[in-house]
Amino acid sequence: MNDPRKSSDSEPTTHFGFQDVPESQKAQKVAEVFHSVAAKYDLMNDLLSGGMHRLWKRFTIELSGIRSGNRVLDIAGGTGDLTKQFARLVGPTGEVVLADINESMLKVGRDRLLDRGVAGNVKFVQADAEKLPFPDNHFDCVTIAFGLRNVTHKEDAIRSMLRVLKPGGRLLVLEFSKPSSALLEKVYDRYSFSFMPLMGKLITNDAESYRYLAESIRMHPDQDTLKAMMVEAGFERVSYHNMTGGIVALHRGIKP
Amino acid sequence: MLLSGLLAGVELGLNRVLAMDSTALPRLARLSGRVIAVDCQAPALSLFILADGQGLRLASQWAGEVDCRLRAPAASLLRLATRKDKSAVLHSPEVDLEGDSAALLELASILQDLELDWEYELSRWLGPVGSQLLGSHLRSRANWANQTLDSLRLNLTDYLSEESRNLVGRREADARFAELDRLKLALERIDARFERIAQRHDKPTA
Repeated sequence: MNDPRKSSDSEPTTHFGFQDVPESQKAQKVAEVFHSVAAKYDLMNDLLSGGMHRLWKRFTIELSGIRSGNRVLDIAGGTGDLTKQFARLVGPTGEVVLADINESMLKVGRDRLLDRGVAGNVKFVQADAEKLPFPDNHFDCVTIAFGLRNVTHKEDAIRSMLRVLKPGGRLLVLEFSKPSSALLEKVYDRYSFSFMPLMGKLITNDAESYRYLAESIRMHPDQDTLKAMMVEAGFERVSYHNMTGGIVALHRGIKP
Repeated sequence: MLLSGLLAGVELGLNRVLAMDSTALPRLARLSGRVIAVDCQAPALSLFILADGQGLRLASQWAGEVDCRLRAPAASLLRLATRKDKSAVLHSPEVDLEGDSAALLELASILQDLELDWEYELSRWLGPVGSQLLGSHLRSRANWANQTLDSLRLNLTDYLSEESRNLVGRREADARFAELDRLKLALERIDARFERIAQRHDKPTA
């Protein structure tokens, strides 16, 4: 039987929004999206979520259980919202690593944190979530906020995060998910496919990147599928919390 | 999520106020890494307070370990927040405190000792002349209000204890309390003496 995810020259394909693209091209295409939106990323986040992204991240921090002296990895850390809070919590004896595959986002995040005086216990690393360049059993907590859906091989990324976590360490995945009510889903679809690209066009002059954002959210595994992927990778006590009616979900798993 | 939003707003305002006191943030830095949980029993509500050199962080839940946990009904928490003498409230039976109570008492003391530099904040908006004029006017009004309240309190005390004789005066009460203390001591001595006599009486003769 033909594999629908194989292109004519037999290179495996993956989704980039609603399109199927060869796997080798996805990272490049995602990078182009983020190069384009990096400069106005924070402004767009506030506008498109109505400031809700701050509460979603706040909840993530509350569930992280981070203490003074902990070592934290913030994957796809982007402009450093979570890193800034983690740096406060771990204090001078701890360490936070802000990792992002995208150079532009990492640069914006680094400049923003340094401008706000966040330094000393923060490191910046350009890294691919699927092949994290850190030793085994190294971090007390790993977070990935609004980044997993852009990763080409999500299972590999989750396994890589498990590897770098210490036993007892926590993985927190904050990501768009599936709304729990059909009515909310309809409203959300209308909002995502009409309003988001329009705002992208008006503010960053780039409607396509925000169309990709809406499409990539629809292609991302729903709450139970992602939970099963984390269990399959080897996490224990995996649970998720829906926020804003399931538009966003926070998954949490513990390394045994 | 609603509670988180509310706490985020309170946290922002509280940290602005804390930044107006020159000593509060360095004192809070000494509490870095401590987590204080406040469990209000009626109504049921939990609040987690984390302090560091940048201010306070308020959370509706906290997955990590807690250093100090205070459980009390809302009325006791309110009394604890407003009273200068915290130990009386902390020792009441409905208040339960476990863990490192020093962290909680230090936090309460920092919040109680706040001396806010309102004039500096005002001068940022009104300029030095405007803030000085408004500041001196507000200070004189505040002094007048304090003096009036003090005078009212003294007059009321005098009336109730000296003229209407509805209440006992402080000195008279102190004298009675001292008498009671003396009586209590005397009773204890007599009690001890009786016990000694009884022991001597019960001792079998050799």
